[in-house]
Amino acid sequence: MTENQPTSTAPAMPDELKESVQLHNLDGLVEAMSNLISPVANWARSQSVWPLTFGTSCCAIEMMSVGMSAFDISRFGSEVFRGTPRQADLIITAGTITRKMAPALITLYEQLPEPKFVIAMGACTVTGGMFNDSYSVVQGVDRIIPVDVYLPGCPPRPEGILDALLKLQQKIRTQSLAERRRKMGQNRAIRHVDYDTGLPMDSLQANIEEAKSLAQEG
Amino acid sequence: MTETPAPGNKPAEEPKELTAGPFGEFLREHGIASTRLPDSTGVETVLVEGKDLEAALKRLRNSQETELNYLVAVSGVEQADSFESVYHLWSYTNLKELVVKVRVAKSAVPEGKLPVVPSLANFWPAANWHERESYDLMGIRYSGHPYLRRILNPWDWEGHPLRRDYKQPVDSLNDKNPHSMR
Ligand code: SF4
Repeated sequence: MTENQPTSTAPAMPDELKESVQLHNLDGLVEAMSNLISPVANWARSQSVWPLTFGTSCCAIEMMSVGMSAFDISRFGSEVFRGTPRQADLIITAGTITRKMAPALITLYEQLPEPKFVIAMGACTVTGGMFNDSYSVVQGVDRIIPVDVYLPGCPPRPEGILDALLKLQQKIRTQSLAERRRKMGQNRAIRHVDYDTGLPMDSLQANIEEAKSLAQEG
Repeated sequence: MTETPAPGNKPAEEPKELTAGPFGEFLREHGIASTRLPDSTGVETVLVEGKDLEAALKRLRNSQETELNYLVAVSGVEQADSFESVYHLWSYTNLKELVVKVRVAKSAVPEGKLPVVPSLANFWPAANWHERESYDLMGIRYSGHPYLRRILNPWDWEGHPLRRDYKQPVDSLNDKNPHSMR
């Protein structure tokens, strides 16, 4: 069964999902047709990026401003701020992400349906910003979720948000569907950091392996 | 007789024994000992014993004379040798202000224990969340508080972040980029 699958570097489908996900043949089709479909599908996707209403502090004021008529983000197809991640494509992380908020942000990100995008808005979410070295702030939101566009500023002007959105649209238009599909697995397993222990997932995995090997020896 | 110090030869500033202010007098009349501290931004500041705190604040709040019936804030302070719990009171009727402090010497705190100050939350509900915050960040235990749990940090946080000796363990949410300049 494994021979006729498209070659990919993506992690293997987990066993428990094999029953429910039966898209292998379709995958091959998409892979073959990707160059034809991608421009059309991507054009459609890029013109209707619906953001999630996610604002945690002062940057959110600018995000609200960009939705109003003075700046009017609906010119670019993103006026529909959704209240639930299930209906959104984009998280604009508008505001400081504290350690207490981090698990909620991870959950929201995981609830977004594919394709999903993230704009890290403001110095706080790009690097920790003025909360550099603070005990309570995640030093850059890219430590917990993958980021597509970094938008520095404190806060960025509404024009900055529009610019970030246009950059994101460009990025979406240049994507290949097959590529994105292959990377879906990677995007899904997004929890680089285990929130409860604050350790990277890799080292947690290593700990588990070590414990297993110790148990076998002993 | 007042001595006039010779010019250029000022005597070293002696810490003056401060006389009790109006609120200190009021407390003394009601049998509560208090020490006057240097005014904080022009507001009378008194130090009371932890055991007298509740009685003192009840008097100050309920008496017609003072009517300090608005608890502005409860805060925790760590000094070099002591922990302080600070209560800012305000009276809307008399437009008067008072700062009450309770001090716990660090030497009186057993190893591995938190300094203990009696809680106000049972008769002054406004103190409830303030005391939880002070407990969360400064690690002052308010005895008798109905629900003394962390309020700002996640419930499983270890340590009290605003303590002088607090060191946050480095994990992947706050480690430094090896290429960063900071
Ligand atoms: S980057 Fe500046 S404006 Fe934005 S959330 Fe942080 S502090 Fe507020």
